[in-house]
Amino acid sequence: MKRKVFPFTAVLGQERIKNALIWNFINPRIGGVLVSGEKGTAKSTLIRGAEHISGKKVIELPLNITEDRLIGAIDFENAVKNGTKQLDRGILYYANKNILYVDEINLLSDNITKALLEASSEKSCCVEREGISDRYPCEFILIGSMNPEESGLRPQLLDRFGLFVEAKGEESALIRCEIIRRRIAFEKNVTEFIDEYEQEEMKLASLIKKAQERLPLIEVSDYALSLAAQLAQNANCQGNRGEIAIIETAKAICAMNGSSAVNKESITEAAKYALPHRMRDCSVQQEVEKPQTEPEKQSTPSNENNSANNLEKTFSSQGDSDFSETLNDSKTDVPENPKSSEDFSSANNNLDSSEKIEAIGEQFDVGRWLDDKRKILVRKGSGRRSLVKTDSLQGRYVKSAVSNIKNSDIAFDATLRAAAPYQKNRNKNGLAFSINASDIRIKVREKRTGNFIVFVVDASGSMGVGKRMSAVKGAILSLLSDAYQKRDKVALITFRKNKADLVLGMTRSVDLAAKKLETLSTGGKTPLYAGIESARYLIKAAMKKEKDLLPVVVLVSDGRATYGRSSDPFGDAVEEGRALAADHIKTIIIDVEQDFIKLRLAEKLAKEINAEVYKISDLHAGTIISAVHTATKAM
Amino acid sequence: MIKDRITYPFTAIVGQEQMKTALILNVINPLLGGVLIRGEKGTAKSTAVRALADLMPTIQKVKGCKFGCNPYGSEFCPDCEAKIANGQPFEIYESKMKVTDLPVSATEDRVVGTLDIEYAIKHGEKKFECGILAQANRNILYVDEVNLLDDHVVDVLLDSAAMGVNTIEREGISYSHPARFTLVGTMNPEEGDLRPQLLDRFGLVVDVAGENNREQRAEVVRRRLEFEENPEEFAQKYEKKQKELSDKIVEAQNILKSVTYDNKILMMAATLSIALDVDGHRADITMIKTAMTIAAFHGRTQVSEEDLKQAAVLVLPHRMRKNPFDNGVLDAGTIDKILSDNE
Repeated sequence: MKRKVFPFTAVLGQERIKNALIWNFINPRIGGVLVSGEKGTAKSTLIRGAEHISGKKVIELPLNITEDRLIGAIDFENAVKNGTKQLDRGILYYANKNILYVDEINLLSDNITKALLEASSEKSCCVEREGISDRYPCEFILIGSMNPEESGLRPQLLDRFGLFVEAKGEESALIRCEIIRRRIAFEKNVTEFIDEYEQEEMKLASLIKKAQERLPLIEVSDYALSLAAQLAQNANCQGNRGEIAIIETAKAICAMNGSSAVNKESITEAAKYALPHRMRDCSVQQEVEKPQTEPEKQSTPSNENNSANNLEKTFSSQGDSDFSETLNDSKTDVPENPKSSEDFSSANNNLDSSEKIEAIGEQFDVGRWLDDKRKILVRKGSGRRSLVKTDSLQGRYVKSAVSNIKNSDIAFDATLRAAAPYQKNRNKNGLAFSINASDIRIKVREKRTGNFIVFVVDASGSMGVGKRMSAVKGAILSLLSDAYQKRDKVALITFRKNKADLVLGMTRSVDLAAKKLETLSTGGKTPLYAGIESARYLIKAAMKKEKDLLPVVVLVSDGRATYGRSSDPFGDAVEEGRALAADHIKTIIIDVEQDFIKLRLAEKLAKEINAEVYKISDLHAGTIISAVHTATKAM
Repeated sequence: MIKDRITYPFTAIVGQEQMKTALILNVINPLLGGVLIRGEKGTAKSTAVRALADLMPTIQKVKGCKFGCNPYGSEFCPDCEAKIANGQPFEIYESKMKVTDLPVSATEDRVVGTLDIEYAIKHGEKKFECGILAQANRNILYVDEVNLLDDHVVDVLLDSAAMGVNTIEREGISYSHPARFTLVGTMNPEEGDLRPQLLDRFGLVVDVAGENNREQRAEVVRRRLEFEENPEEFAQKYEKKQKELSDKIVEAQNILKSVTYDNKILMMAATLSIALDVDGHRADITMIKTAMTIAAFHGRTQVSEEDLKQAAVLVLPHRMRKNPFDNGVLDAGTIDKILSDNE
């Protein structure tokens, strides 16, 4: 169906996205662009609007695409009617010489991503399935957009994009007003609005066309090449894609503004788009995650000393200073709610003297920390939300497989295709199709599951000493923030006096967990075994309902068990811990021992039950969160 | 098929004014982007959405079109496009807007549509079998417990809600059709959060709570019992009120196109968005559209400052949530303060 889209030239601001797109239309060798940014910043609008000005078609790749439609599959209509094997080509075929747009590209399933990567690097698509063998060219400009809130992008895919831009809302009230005005005018009368911008669209289209013609004539000097290489090297980029993207982009820039040879300005300008997602140290993340401070500087490059050295300096120094800033920012970001602390004190009075509630301590912005870590970790293949093949009937249907078991999840489309070549010779009982048991294909589904993090928190009297509980609350809250982003499920168990309490059953509501956490009180003995035991029961029950869960127990304690079934409370705890390990449940122990004389019981427990142990003071390094992720990854 | 049951009349719902307003605004102006109703169990959330069906205006559709294309619109399904290309005139009929349900257990193929197996086996040809999104075109799509929806179904919803188009490239089918719907969701926040991306797609958000007033509560029970005793009689009692409200909705729709706003209103919207640090521009745009619809509902053609403030309370709360543990609560007082600070 034909769609009426908001004109490209009617979008106000977002110059960086516009530039990156236009350069790609001029020079497809740049290798596409990834637009990352907050919701509602005209990301998709601009890309959809590009059809009009680029002279190319925008082919959209929907998230729920199946393999057969991506690369192609046997045309069963033809097979039935004429008995011929013919390929019904997928959308990669139609994307050839055009623009391939993937919205929310970070949510694309692994199978599809793999096929997409292969096609984009081979510049052709190879089909070997259902008795068909074919290869067709598919050279396309890959454009992706994503909201980093949802999850990151795998590095192989990230590297494939020539350019990277960050989208952000406009800050000026006046511009915002005009944006509203235009959008409302568009919705009021679509056709009229589009007509109004027709002339401007034509103008831009012809500018692009002229630049395309000029492109082959642009000269690239050796100096320009070495400058690009230098920049890429300084940014610590892997491979050579970085400098290639810089040169190709610089050529497009020069073609657009009419220069005949690539100059220093165009190289530095290009580097700002081509390098951010390829840089490999901490400053990368700053560039990628926090360029709010940067774009002003970037979009208006100061004329006098816009040298490569300068750029390099901006990258690295800005990286460092911003980094510590972020850190400081996040530390002050404690949800200090004066009202709730009042509640605490009043609640305190009502409890018996041995019990107390501590406010939530320092909270760390683990999200960013984690992402920083992830940036490096990703290369080892970890750190994104766990994607599993699932045999439950939920999840996204990504491809089909030959079935040898009784299974009701039949992939009818694949079954029809499998049966299609034989239709000529089969007895069909008056129907058009006959299907044998050997034709049956089943669906292979993929599903993103979050982790199931069970917090088992020691709430005994010893935890009340020296603000310990407050630090623990802070730590858990940090983990909860992370869980919120990843849509992990959480549960909270506390143990004190003579039993464990399930404070919060399995939930995705991180809000609720945070609320429960606020009112957690301490006091009494330490029945460590009971905490571990109830975590095991909880997980087992949950796994019955959802097989795909990836459970992790986060045990927060000093390990000093003082209450048990037998005369050896610590021994009881070890026994329970072993049962946990026997069920293949990963455990992480956060050791909160801070006393002068260290008994190292938590460490001992960890050794006995093969768990990882972290000190509460380690939290500052953000290790615990990555520990949770590596723990689930290892399973 | 079950015979149409008599639904509890919308106008008989006691209190919950904000929720009722938000729903009515969306009926008047389907471009507002829907409403998310957050609240505890038993606060008439579902009742209100279901009751809405009775108040819906009639719209004109192309006869024989599975997607109910608008004969005077600018976007058409492939079948209607073919008709236009062949110079075939549309047959037009009128029909009431509907509330289409999206059950939480719905599978992806039922939502987006899939290959018609029966047809394929009988005729050896491919045919697209419509899904829920096709039915929802130009209607209200209602998702009860929207926070429990499977992730991959949410992805699909996001796509269509944003573009008004459902693109299918799966199971051997390649098809796209208009899917412009008003998304109405209800959820109990205790059972988990909504993905921020989906949250942002809802134009408006209202939080509902049980009535605190004892008399009001008694009235709620009284009416409910009366309804259950004899639904027909009860519905008759409210017929006049229902008629008045649906007339008012139609009237508002008629004047909506001529509602105007001045620069001051625009500036107020931009100021609020900047001060509350919301993501992107969707909030600003929705705020103005909502204010315009509020003005139309009151029979005015000029947006007042009060309209905008009322709109802000509905549009902003869920968009200013930078920290997951913020409550996401915004009241009229805060809005007044921001506006006076930025005078």
